[in-house]
Amino acid sequence: MPLILAEHLTKTFDAAGHDGSPVTAVRDVDLSIDAGEFVAITGASGSGKSTILHMLGGITRPTSGRVMLEGVDLAKLDDDALALVRRRRIGFIFQRYNLLPELSLLENVALPLVFDGMKESACHKAAMEAIESVGLAPRASHRPDALSGGEQQRAAIARALVTSPAVVLADEPTGALDTVNSRHVIDLLSCLVKDRGQTVVLVTHDPATAAAAGRLIRVIDGRIASDTLVGDADERAAASPARTVVR
Amino acid sequence: MNRLGLLVRQWRNRPGRVIATVASVAVAVGAVVATWLSADASREGYRRLAESIEGVPSIDISPRETGRWDGSGVPKLIDIPGVRAVVPLVYKPALLRSEERRIREVAVGVDAGGLVDAGFLKLVAGRACEGPDEIVVSRTLADSLDKSIDDTLLFLSRRGGYRTMKITGIADTQSLSALSDGGGVVIDIEALGELTGVRGLIDRFRLVLRPGASRQAVLAAVNERLPETLHAIVPAGRASMAHDMLNAANLGLDFVTALTVAMAWFIVGNAMLMNVTERRRAFALQRVLGATSRQISRTLFFEAAAMGAVGAAVGAVGGILAAGPIAKGIGRAIRAPDFAISYNPWIVVGAVLIGPAVAVLAAWWPTRQAAKVDLLESLAHMAPPPENISWKLVTTAAVLWTLAVGILLAVVTGTLPPRSAVPAGIATTLAFIATTPVVLPLLARLLAGLVPRPWRIEGALALEQILRQPVRTALTTGVLVVAVSNGVGLGHAIRDNVDDVLAWYGKALKADWMLLQAGALGVSRETSPSAGSGLVEEVSSIEGVASVQPISIAIGSAGGVACVIVARDMPAKEQLPLEAVGMSDDDLRKIVDDGGLLAGTALAQRLKVKAGDEVTVSAFGRTIRAKVAALVVDYTAGGTSLFLSREAARKIFGIDSVDALLIESTPAAAAGLREPLQAVAKRHGLLLQSHADLHATMDRIINGIVGALWSILGLGFIVGSLGVANTVTMNVLEKRRTLGLLRAVGMTARQVTRLVVIESLLLGLSGCIIGILGGIASAWFIQLSSQPLLGHPVSMSFRPAVILSNLAAAIAITAIAAWLPARRAVRLDLLDSIAAE
Repeated sequence: MPLILAEHLTKTFDAAGHDGSPVTAVRDVDLSIDAGEFVAITGASGSGKSTILHMLGGITRPTSGRVMLEGVDLAKLDDDALALVRRRRIGFIFQRYNLLPELSLLENVALPLVFDGMKESACHKAAMEAIESVGLAPRASHRPDALSGGEQQRAAIARALVTSPAVVLADEPTGALDTVNSRHVIDLLSCLVKDRGQTVVLVTHDPATAAAAGRLIRVIDGRIASDTLVGDADERAAASPARTVVR
Repeated sequence: MNRLGLLVRQWRNRPGRVIATVASVAVAVGAVVATWLSADASREGYRRLAESIEGVPSIDISPRETGRWDGSGVPKLIDIPGVRAVVPLVYKPALLRSEERRIREVAVGVDAGGLVDAGFLKLVAGRACEGPDEIVVSRTLADSLDKSIDDTLLFLSRRGGYRTMKITGIADTQSLSALSDGGGVVIDIEALGELTGVRGLIDRFRLVLRPGASRQAVLAAVNERLPETLHAIVPAGRASMAHDMLNAANLGLDFVTALTVAMAWFIVGNAMLMNVTERRRAFALQRVLGATSRQISRTLFFEAAAMGAVGAAVGAVGGILAAGPIAKGIGRAIRAPDFAISYNPWIVVGAVLIGPAVAVLAAWWPTRQAAKVDLLESLAHMAPPPENISWKLVTTAAVLWTLAVGILLAVVTGTLPPRSAVPAGIATTLAFIATTPVVLPLLARLLAGLVPRPWRIEGALALEQILRQPVRTALTTGVLVVAVSNGVGLGHAIRDNVDDVLAWYGKALKADWMLLQAGALGVSRETSPSAGSGLVEEVSSIEGVASVQPISIAIGSAGGVACVIVARDMPAKEQLPLEAVGMSDDDLRKIVDDGGLLAGTALAQRLKVKAGDEVTVSAFGRTIRAKVAALVVDYTAGGTSLFLSREAARKIFGIDSVDALLIESTPAAAAGLREPLQAVAKRHGLLLQSHADLHATMDRIINGIVGALWSILGLGFIVGSLGVANTVTMNVLEKRRTLGLLRAVGMTARQVTRLVVIESLLLGLSGCIIGILGGIASAWFIQLSSQPLLGHPVSMSFRPAVILSNLAAAIAITAIAAWLPARRAVRLDLLDSIAAE
């Protein structure tokens, strides 16, 4: 059973057009992602790649179609149940980091555990471990505004990992970073996949970032234009020979 | 850190917003507490003022149809809460003779000893009368006859009986007048019955109430127990006037208090809305990270309760402190005795308990919005999406309009009591606020078109921000709408009513001097006709007196409603002292000349009679059926009055007294008349009042009412500015990025300030224009709903001064309200602003 299975995903935004007409951002997308995969979804701005990611993460509901995460149909969950799935099974990383400015780095990372009602000491212990894994232990007590962009994004990665999620969804994680920091972030995500078997789905329009992934999905006008295994082709082909599709 | 810790961190990170929210709650609660206490103190002040006019508060029981009766059928009433005593009373006109002087007086038959013991009748000398040959006289009468204790008087009854009576006591005139509606002598009830042939019969039972007892409650309880043949009424004359004054004042105070509560609700709602809206993105992010909507809601409700408790506690204390000076001012204005706020510590406790509940209730809608926030919003790095005006809001507006108009119609047609005008007024105000989002975009666009050309960019940006959130803008300007609507509405209504009273007063009491019998408006006396005409001749002969007009005043009832009967001549050469309703002055004069009976509009309204209808009129034991020939605008005894010529009064009721003299002087002689008139007053035991004295008395009462209402309304304007400041601050915060970018590409600090001020002014003017329309509607509304009280329509005048002063106050307030957000906008760090989101 795939970790994530998306069937006939379509998303239409009401009155989003310039003339108030509805805009269909994603059209009839089928997608299957196995555990341990590092998937990059690429495409031009406005192609619908972020919307696909949001639907996979239960941030927005599809207009039609469904998303199964670990066999659970997200469409059948109410808002609070969906929040529990996001809290426990999904880690999010955003382009703008989205750390709460009033909290320290440690507290930001611990936030999903706080919502889960975990004891404070346990929260801090788990958060500290996640921070150490991204190399930010000395900065744990700092506020986000005292950190560089790269450090903030590493902190966001730590927050995404703190609950040991089934999948990490990253939306343009290097979009606001310089080349050096982008490289650090990509290396970090690659290590997660290689060393911990973490499933990562990444949205990017940067070919260099996408190149780190083992599977490349190109989205054009809300449809998957191609779904290609890249890198060590033989090894990947052996792992999932039927996945290379060009539409 | 737990969720509470997260909340505390948010508070620490945004102390300004926390303080603004708590301060808003405090101001709202403070305004309510101050208004409530001031209104309570005003009510108490008016009550005491009414008491000082009325004397001891009382209720009379008498037969519906007949005059005097044997007192049967009256159930036990002394056990009704608030009733202090049940006193049987008999009134009989009598002639008193002292040496050569003959004086007509009303003798009151009571159990004098019991009343003195109970403290209802105060004696300044001697003791109560007990035997058949004893009498108590009022101090005024004793002074005018030069009599003292143990002197004698010859008592002659109309039936021919006579008896020499010894004066055993001299009563305080005020005390006797209050107890007996102006009676001048007191005789034992049985002795009076025996002398005058009415033994075993009484005129009425007077229920003397305990201090602070609710007359309405006692009246209702008494009426429940009485058989069909009897009824309980508020005594006419002073009591009725005081009662009506109290009712009108209470209605105004209720209206103002209710509007303050409504405004406070908007302030708290607005504060909570801003408090939550500012963190929409943070909540959306928390939701993305796994917080459930229930967790967000609970956190926000907890926060609202905490802020509500603190704000309410601070507000309650502030309100109590503010109420003191307000109440003192009102007390000074109406010169009410011992006028003060009653400080009750439970107000603070109550506020602290109710405050959180109100805050949580006010936070309900924004919390729901926050819990339902679109998660994409947190990722989109954009301001909240523009609002659409929902059909729910339009429906709410329609329901409120229907409700308001429905209640108004019910009040005007008499289906609902005038007091129902209070919720109707609130519904109208809320209807205007609910309509605001619909008309605001058009209004704001029109006003933005007036922005001078060099400032068009700032104007356009300001307009864009207003149009983006019409519902939020409307809710926040709602505070200003309420304040302006109150100001314009009550301003018009108060001025119109005052003008109506002054117009009546100018017509009815046109004189340079007045000579009055003590307690003239509450009397049922008959002074000697000869003495009366002698008095007129005596005054007319004084040099400088141009004309003297005698007026007779008597107590009575019409159709079972207590009223005052006023008899006065209306010479053909002079302007009519009354204003006819629905007929010309000539027609009215003809009716008066023909001896027709005129009814005050308030009396006609209560009796539901119109010109041409017949009513049963009772006075001094005489009961007649008479036709109401015309209705007249009148404020004597609250308008519950009957008018007729003195000749007609003499024929119909046997009233031939001179209870008041209106004296006009020859040109420039007015001031010189004081001394001779004072001498006349002293000789006859009368009160002398100049036109200036009367004017001052009227002004004092009117100023007191107007001042009390205006000072409470002033609070509304002050707190209204908070709403505008809150909205503009919120808009500035939302536009941080835009403002930062504009500054980065060259917008000067002055231009940013201008932008914020223009936005504030557009908001203020939009709210003000809607408020003015609402106010004019309210004024019309108040006039219509006061018609059942007054019995005649008060013409509504368009008053530019009231409108302009409210407009100026609103502009000034919104301009001041823009100061803080403008400072904040100018001080935004460019890099922070651009990096924001």
